Amino acid sequence: MNLVLAGMNHRTAPVEVRERMHVQESTLVQALKALMGHDGILEGMIVSTCNRVEVVANADDKDDAATTIRQFLSGYHRCDLRDYESYFYWHRQRDAVRHLFRVASSLDSMILGEPQILGQIKQAFLTAQAAGTLKGTLHDVINQALAVGRRVRRETALGTAAVSVPYAAVELAKKIFGNLAGKTVFVIGAGKMSELATKHLLSSGAGAILVTNRTYQKAVQLAHAFRGTAIQFDQIFQYIGQADIIISSTGAPHFIITKDRAERMIAARRNRPIFFVDISVPRDVDPSVNDLDAAFVYDIDDLQGVVEANIKQRQREAAWAEEIVEQEVQKMMRHFASREVVPTIMALEEKLNRIRQGEMERFQGRLTSLTPEQRETVEALTQGILNKILHGPITELKSGAGSPEHRALVQVIRRIFGVAD
Amino acid sequence: MLVRGIVEVAVHTTLLWAAVAFYGLALVLILPSVRRRRPRLSPWSLGALGLGLLLHATALTVTTAQTGRLQPTDVRSALSLFVFTLTAAFFAVYLKYPITSLGIFMLPFVFVLSLISALQPPPSLSPGGLRGGWLLVHIASMMLGYTGLFLTSVGAIMYLIQESELKSKKPRAFYYRLPPLEVCDELYYRSLVFGLVFLSLGILTGVVWASRTWRGPWQLDPKIVASLATWIIYLILFSTRLSGSGRRRRAAYLAIFGFAAVMVTFLGISFLSSQHGFFPKLGSP
Repeated sequence: MNLVLAGMNHRTAPVEVRERMHVQESTLVQALKALMGHDGILEGMIVSTCNRVEVVANADDKDDAATTIRQFLSGYHRCDLRDYESYFYWHRQRDAVRHLFRVASSLDSMILGEPQILGQIKQAFLTAQAAGTLKGTLHDVINQALAVGRRVRRETALGTAAVSVPYAAVELAKKIFGNLAGKTVFVIGAGKMSELATKHLLSSGAGAILVTNRTYQKAVQLAHAFRGTAIQFDQIFQYIGQADIIISSTGAPHFIITKDRAERMIAARRNRPIFFVDISVPRDVDPSVNDLDAAFVYDIDDLQGVVEANIKQRQREAAWAEEIVEQEVQKMMRHFASREVVPTIMALEEKLNRIRQGEMERFQGRLTSLTPEQRETVEALTQGILNKILHGPITELKSGAGSPEHRALVQVIRRIFGVAD
Repeated sequence: MLVRGIVEVAVHTTLLWAAVAFYGLALVLILPSVRRRRPRLSPWSLGALGLGLLLHATALTVTTAQTGRLQPTDVRSALSLFVFTLTAAFFAVYLKYPITSLGIFMLPFVFVLSLISALQPPPSLSPGGLRGGWLLVHIASMMLGYTGLFLTSVGAIMYLIQESELKSKKPRAFYYRLPPLEVCDELYYRSLVFGLVFLSLGILTGVVWASRTWRGPWQLDPKIVASLATWIIYLILFSTRLSGSGRRRRAAYLAIFGFAAVMVTFLGISFLSSQHGFFPKLGSP
C-alpha cells in the first residue's frame, strides 16, 4: 500500500487557481485514464468540486507516486506545476486516509457539516469504479470514507443546525410548531430573503401561502410561484388572522403589526403560538410583541444571532466527529497492517514446517521400529515444539501492527528466521 | 409461617433494591445521549429501565401473592406502586414521543422516588387489612391520575424552558435538546385530560367506598379535602384551555404547582389523616 493524495481546497487556493485545476465531470473518465497511464499507478480517484480538487492514487510500493501525480497534473492541465506548488497539500498513507475521512465527513468543508460533499465523493467513487481505476486498497479506503461520512451524519448533529438566515427562520418555525403541515404562511412584501424562507417553509411541509404586496401585480406573481393566494395590501388585516407564520419585509416607515393588533390576533387564535419573521428595516413588527404569551418575533439581527449560535454548535459537534474519524482511521490502518503481516506469518510457518519435515525424513530410517501410535506422538511432539517457538513472533507481528516501529520489527523477525524478502 | 414471612420480606426488599439499582443505571446511561444531543435514548438505557421495571413487577407480585392484596397500606408500597406506574407510563409515552428530554425529566424523578420508597421500613406483609373492589378501582385510578398529572407538569416544565429559549432569541443548551414547543404543549394537554379523568374517577370511587365503610365525618378527612383542592386546580386548567382563554405560560406554572400539591396530598397529608394515613390505625372501622 502506497497511498498519496494531492489536493487543494477553499483555504489553500483562491478560486482562480481552483478553477485552473478543476476537472470537468464530462472529462473525468479521460483524466482517470491519463492518471492510470503513468507507470506504477495501481489505482486512482479524482474529486473535483467548486471548493476542492483532490487526486489520490495507490502506487507500487517503491514508486515515487508524488512525482507521478505531479507529472499527471502538469500534463493534464498543460501547465508548469511549480507555479501552483504552494496551493497544494500532500498527504501520504495514514494522513491520506484521515484526510479522505475528514472530507467525506464534511469536516473540511467551507460550511462545516454541509451535506453535498458526501454525495460528491460518492459520485467520484462510482465514476472511478466504473472506469476500473479502483480495485484494491484505495477502493476499500474510499468505501470506508463514505461509511465514515454516513456514521458522522448519523451519530453527531454536525449537519443539523441551520447556518443561513432563511434556514434559521425555518428551523425556528419547526422549533415552535413542530410539524409545519397545515400551517399557513403570510408573506407581506417581497425580497430575496423572504422568498427563500418561504420556499424552504414550503418544502418543509407548510400548508397554505398568502402573499401581499403594495403593488398587487407583484403579489400575484409571487403567489403564482408559490401556488399561493394573492391578497390586496389594504386587506392585510382581514386575512392575517389565518396566518401562523408571518414573514414581513415591506420597508414601511412605521410598525404594521403593533402590540395592540398582535394582542387581538393572539386572542382570536385562542393563544395558539404565532411566529413573526421580520426581515424588513425599518422593522414592521413592534419588538414588544415578543413579550406577549405565545408570540415570537425575530428580526434580521435575531436570525443572524441564531445562525451564529448554530455555527458554534456545529463546531462543538465537529469535535465529536473528529473523534469518530480518528477511531475509524485507526481501525482502517490496523486492518491494512494486519493484512500486511499475513505473508510474513505464512512464510514463517512454512519455513519452520519445512525444517521439521526435513528432520523427520532424515531420521526416517532410525524410526522404523515405532508403532503407528508412537509415530503419531513424535509428529505431535515436533509440531508442538514448532508451535511454541512460533507463538512469540506471531503474537508480536499481530500486535501493534501499523506503527512505524512495527515495520522495523517485521524486518527483524524476517531476518532472524531467514525468511526472504 | 413467621419464617416464611421473613424470607418473603427479604425477597421483596432485594428485588426492590435491584429495581432501584437498574433505575439508577438507566439514569446514568441517558447522560451520554443528553450530552451528545442525540434525539433518542440509547437502547442501553431503555434496556436498563425495562429490566428495572421487570424486577419491580416481580417485587410487587411477591408482595401481592403473600398478602393477597395489591392495595398499599404504607408509604413504601404506595410509593413503590406509583413509581411502577410512572415507569410503565414512561414507556407508553416514549412510544408516541421518542425524545431524549422525556428521559431527562422523568428518570431522575423515578429514581429518587424509588429510592425513597426502598429506604422506608419494609411492610409487615400481614394478610388482610383494606379490601374491596371499589377500593381497588379507587387506588388504580388515583395512581393513573397522579401519573397523568406528573406528565402534565413534565410537559409544562419543558414548555416553559423551550418558550424562554425561544423568547430570549439566544439558542442555548436546551434549545437544541428540547422538542418543539407544540410537542411540549401536546404532551401537557393530553396528559392533563388523561390525568383529570382518572383523578375524577379515583375521587368518585373513593367517596363511594368511604361512605360504605367508614363511620364518622370522613368528608373532613384532610386527604380528601386536599384531593378535592388539587382536582379543582386541574379542572380550572382544563376548562380555561377548552375555552382558549388561558395564557399558556400561566397555565404551565399552575400545572407545576398542581403537581406539587398532588405530592403533598399523596405523601404529606398521609401523616395527618387518621382514616387515610398509610400507617396509623390500619383498617380502622
